[in-house]
Amino acid sequence: MTSPGTLALATRGLRKSYGKRLALDGLDLSVPEGVVYGFLGPNGAGKTTTMRLLTGLLHPDSGSIELLGRPFRRGDRQRLFEVGALVENPSFYPYLSGRANLGVLAQSGATVPKGRIEELLELVGLRERAKDKLSGYSLGMKQRLGIAGALLSDPKLLLLDEPANGLDPAGIVAMREMLRRLAAMGKTVFVSSHLLAEVRVLADVVGIIAAGRLVREGPLDSLLGDQGLVRVRVARSEAGAARAVLERIAPTDADGDPADPEPWLSVHVEPNRAGAVNRALAEAGIYASGLESGTDLELLFLQLTGGGAPSSEGTFGAAGVTAGVAPSQATGGNAATKDGQG
Amino acid sequence: MRIFRAGLRKMIGRPASFVSVGLLVGLLGLILLAAATVQENGARGSANARALITFPGAYDLILSFMFGLGGLVAVIYGAAIAGSEWGWGTLKNAVARGESRTRYMLGTFAAIVVMVGLGLAITFVLGVLLAVVAASIAGISTAGLTDADALNRLPAMVARGWFAVVEEAGLGFAIATLARSQLAGIGAGIAFYFGEGFASIFFPDVIKYMPFAVARASIDTGGGGFGGGDGGAAAAAQALTPDTALVLVGVWLVGALLVTVLFTERAEITG
Repeated sequence: MTSPGTLALATRGLRKSYGKRLALDGLDLSVPEGVVYGFLGPNGAGKTTTMRLLTGLLHPDSGSIELLGRPFRRGDRQRLFEVGALVENPSFYPYLSGRANLGVLAQSGATVPKGRIEELLELVGLRERAKDKLSGYSLGMKQRLGIAGALLSDPKLLLLDEPANGLDPAGIVAMREMLRRLAAMGKTVFVSSHLLAEVRVLADVVGIIAAGRLVREGPLDSLLGDQGLVRVRVARSEAGAARAVLERIAPTDADGDPADPEPWLSVHVEPNRAGAVNRALAEAGIYASGLESGTDLELLFLQLTGGGAPSSEGTFGAAGVTAGVAPSQATGGNAATKDGQG
Repeated sequence: MRIFRAGLRKMIGRPASFVSVGLLVGLLGLILLAAATVQENGARGSANARALITFPGAYDLILSFMFGLGGLVAVIYGAAIAGSEWGWGTLKNAVARGESRTRYMLGTFAAIVVMVGLGLAITFVLGVLLAVVAASIAGISTAGLTDADALNRLPAMVARGWFAVVEEAGLGFAIATLARSQLAGIGAGIAFYFGEGFASIFFPDVIKYMPFAVARASIDTGGGGFGGGDGGAAAAAQALTPDTALVLVGVWLVGALLVTVLFTERAEITG
């Protein structure tokens, strides 16, 4: 955890329920200033509820929020003048142009400097289409406009809920660069996402939420430091012998369904030792039918969240619970992927 | 003031604004032109039709129409504006930027008040022009257009009518805020409008204090046929003097805005 005093955003014991359903159960977030913070969690974990609480759309049942070093309570709406937010979907008037929508939005909350709208339209690449009605915009264009809306007041703290939604690959890269640039300028960017690969390349600090509680938080590199893993798949008849061989290299776990004719074994070593693992098995006369490795945020995520994420968005399917490593994230050895990953 | 200006900017560009005025003017034009084509044959119906386009009586038709059907259109308009703020998530945007919920809703409603006034003014001007055209078609003199008595009454009538229609827009605004939806707000607004008229048949003594009945009664100063709407509610409203009704219009308007503001302040914005 980061020491208090340098925090752009902090929550303590934040609780929120919708009727009988508990959405947040004592959330403690510590977001340092000047970083990109990746707020990760499976669907329904409480990410959007957190975003709504941080922007005053919802009121917590208990707990406290600090924005930019000062308490944010009901009635402290002016604290949000230094915060820019994109919560859930970008929301605009469909019959107005992109420029007019930003103009209308600029009339609420903190005052917006003259010329800022044109500057932002340029920044998000919408200048050419600024006169067009929003109803003609693609999802990605609406998302860009939403990000422009969040930046209207040149906020010190930026809260973005799934900002990559609908963006094409070039748009995602541009957005990532822009967010990194903002962080480099000393602004704090809080990004809620379920796109682990995106967070992996974007965030400095990560918080993982599951069932309304923060289960891990810290600098990404530090969190991933002990997440190196090599996984091998062997015939069930050879699993015992293989495990004995691998235990000599590093602690090894059986993975997945024990009744599987070819179970997976997980060896907790650095990914670049996948070759050594494979060699050790071969020297013992055991040949792996599958091998994968990585330093994997997804694996950490699945371990911490119990791997039970709903798969409605196709991101965390059942296969992902056991397979773990997407090709783009594999850092060594052979990356054997399964359906629904990558 | 910023919210008010933004509200005007939103509403001026909104198709619902044009459709509302277009509907009123279009229907009024059809009635006037239909009256112009009725042949003079000495029958009572023919005489009534010609009376509609004979000034200064034509003013009464135009104002009755504006404040009668206009009231229903205002309910729908108010509901559409408030409902869309929830449905489209634009209220959420403003709140997340630190805007006061109360100021946002009141500023938006202030813009509705101006838009209602603008819509009524356009309807009146175009209605008078159409009535002149209809009178010309029917070969009726338009000398009564400048009738001093009618012209003297107009400002007070228009002001009362505007206030009444604003109250009806306020009801639609409040209903849609409670419903958090354009469609539900519009549907419930229309249901209340007609439901109140229907209920006045059975409970006239109660219904005469209800918002749409008092709106009609407040503009029925005896100078003409203002009031429009259904006969049952209008009859029930007769028991209230226009001035009493006008006070009640104010009470309902303030009540509607209070409900809107209190609900919005307490609401958890999840859409």
